[in-house]
Amino acid sequence: MLRASRLVLAHFWVAFVAFLGAAVLGEWQMIVRSPLSTWINNPEHYYRSVTAHGTVMGYVMPTLLAMGFGYAITELALKRPLIGLRWAWAGFGLVLAGTAMAATTVALGQASVLYTFYPPMIASPFYYLGVVLVVVGSWVWVALMAINLRAWKRDNPGAAVPLAMYGNCAGAFLWAWTSLGAAIEILVLILPASLGWTDTINAGLARVLFSWTLHAIVYFWLMPCYIAFYAIVPRAIGSRLYSDTMGRIAFALFLVFSMPIGIHHLFADPEVGAGFKFVHAAMTAMVSLPTLLTVFTIVASVEIVARLRGGKGAFGWVRALPWRNPMMLALTFSFLMLGLGGAGGLINMSYQMNETVHNTQWVTGHFHLIFGGAIVIMYFMVAYDLWPTLTGCAPLPAAQVKTQLWLWFVGMLVLTLPWHLVGLMGMPRRMAYYDYSDPAIASQGSLVVASAAGGLLVVVSAALFVWILARASLPARRRAGAVEPYTFSRAVHEGARVPVALNGFGLWIGMMIALTVVNYGVPIIQLASLKQASVPVIPIGAR
Amino acid sequence: MEDRRLLSWRNPWFKASVLGLLAVIAASFLAGFVWLPSATSDFSASGAWASICRAAGVPTQWGGNGTIDMTGVASTGVVLDRSMARAGTDDAIGRGATLALGCTTCHGAQGMSTSDAPNLAGQYPEVVIKQLRDFRSGRRDSPIMQGLAKGLSDANISDLAAYYGYLPKSRRAPTTYADALPAVVRVGAPLRNIAPCVACHGGIDQKLGAPWLEGMPRPYLIAQLKNFQAGDRHNDSHGQMRNMARAMTGDEIEAVATFYARKASR
Repeated sequence: MLRASRLVLAHFWVAFVAFLGAAVLGEWQMIVRSPLSTWINNPEHYYRSVTAHGTVMGYVMPTLLAMGFGYAITELALKRPLIGLRWAWAGFGLVLAGTAMAATTVALGQASVLYTFYPPMIASPFYYLGVVLVVVGSWVWVALMAINLRAWKRDNPGAAVPLAMYGNCAGAFLWAWTSLGAAIEILVLILPASLGWTDTINAGLARVLFSWTLHAIVYFWLMPCYIAFYAIVPRAIGSRLYSDTMGRIAFALFLVFSMPIGIHHLFADPEVGAGFKFVHAAMTAMVSLPTLLTVFTIVASVEIVARLRGGKGAFGWVRALPWRNPMMLALTFSFLMLGLGGAGGLINMSYQMNETVHNTQWVTGHFHLIFGGAIVIMYFMVAYDLWPTLTGCAPLPAAQVKTQLWLWFVGMLVLTLPWHLVGLMGMPRRMAYYDYSDPAIASQGSLVVASAAGGLLVVVSAALFVWILARASLPARRRAGAVEPYTFSRAVHEGARVPVALNGFGLWIGMMIALTVVNYGVPIIQLASLKQASVPVIPIGAR
Repeated sequence: MEDRRLLSWRNPWFKASVLGLLAVIAASFLAGFVWLPSATSDFSASGAWASICRAAGVPTQWGGNGTIDMTGVASTGVVLDRSMARAGTDDAIGRGATLALGCTTCHGAQGMSTSDAPNLAGQYPEVVIKQLRDFRSGRRDSPIMQGLAKGLSDANISDLAAYYGYLPKSRRAPTTYADALPAVVRVGAPLRNIAPCVACHGGIDQKLGAPWLEGMPRPYLIAQLKNFQAGDRHNDSHGQMRNMARAMTGDEIEAVATFYARKASR
């Protein structure tokens, strides 16, 4: 068992319990704005719920999962105790305190600004301080990952960093740099206004700084999922990883390209120049590269086991895949949702096509499909896969796990595909109710009901997930003998030479920072130096 | 692990990555700042450098003789600011009470009108400040009020706002959320882009600059909504109230006015 298993379990449990609560809130939102329910009497309650749902799903849950998984990887991949265990607990405490602080403020109706903040709307300072604590707690994790990697490299000169740790550190460094935008936005622009020190705020600059974080954060969410693709899936289905190098290249490309592309969220923003919007759109297209590399490598990796099991022909091998294995099922679901969501994402990132879907329910459908669908389903698998090592339980019941995965997959598709469709029909996002009695949108009612039904399946699946983990954690479920040592995937060509560039991060971090300066430097300096860009703040819940 | 220096042009990974990134940057900037703007006449009208500046989002007045066309009538000259909403000092209230002696004929001795002029007792200070400044600058039309406001300084206006904000409201209880409220007050009309009254005027949220409406004279409310609807009143910034009133039916205007004018019986 891991030395840090209690630490990892603490992160996972808080993440998953918060996740279940936020999933229930999400379903409530689906129902109250569908024709199934009369119009919500107080839309403020709806926005309060949206703020809580987004804050948990966007900041708290993925951050805790990445942190917990990161600590587990550090011990399991480097095969040595985690350095800085006490600091890690302190970081966890900060995240916990921040979550409690933000959640209380949201529940009191003092922070219904949605998790994207939307200045010049200004919430109570406790909400922002809570978010800052969560981020600072995660920075402790980033520092610990760097320290552990450095110490390991010092003790193992010339050895190749295990791929899982390489991906884990790529995610940590990406997060450190990407969280800086929102952190500066909060500390320099929002908090002074929220504390009453200033009565105006440079909303355009705040939006640009938030976009710095807003898009790259999805790649931070995605990292644990990709680590699972490369370092867990091939081993779990009895195969080998087709190429270790390809994995490293994918992680390096994410580091360079996921950061300086966030202005594609501001295509409709008149304060940002069209040239920069185009550049960010073009660079967003570059991020599809590491995903395409990953899909190729992982499909090649699963083909290996299919052929070993007697699969033949150009496509006939697909039938020979280990379909009874929950990991195989989850990977397939994840790729299907990644494909659909990725195709939709190409529309969002295109400067022109974006106009047709901007701020419609299409966008909400899109990020639920790709994050809630493709990524979170792999979070489940990370937890299932680590659980026996963390708790000493017997392997989890495959039938229940597969039921949970099917429910999630079907639920997600039924939830998000109609959601995309009503977006194409023009339904705006972020509204608490719609007048379905009007003939102009009456036909959208049934699609919204379908989405709400899909959401119900998703909530059942989320509850089943937590139940499976809780049941396995009971003392009675402990396995008598020793738990088999945890392993990560082995590459086909094990021990191949790793180029120095792909064994560290110096080059990629340098390129990441340089590209950020090129893509964000002018818009930030320009907006910061515009005197007339400041607008009066709109305090929320103040009267 | 390969033993080669990372940051060296001899390292093929370094060379390919840096050159590749530079090529991607150059290609996307050329397309975004030169090629695409050249295809659009309003970008390329003033030459290549101006078109690059424009694509970068540089404000027009930064480029030498560029001037901004500021002609056209702004709806209001007042930018609402949180500082306007703060309660006045005792001195300000006292000075305001003296100044308010000139307002009593229409607005009542204690800010409660008996002549269908708006009640000012308990009105939010920033509302009084904004309206008086708009009367003074002629952005809000009223032969009587424009004449009276002309003689007021900014300090006078703040004092008046402090005094009226200090007086007790006609109805202390704000609108609370209930199914019985008229539909436009409670939920607006989403497809006509009418936001619920309670989203700004208290009930769900009280937005800066949105007046306290409870207990206002019904004829005054109807007149203002109709003036907004017709565009005769136009001192609402960004047409906030004109956009609401324009889509309202006559019955809805009546219902809203009746609702807010109701006495403190409940």
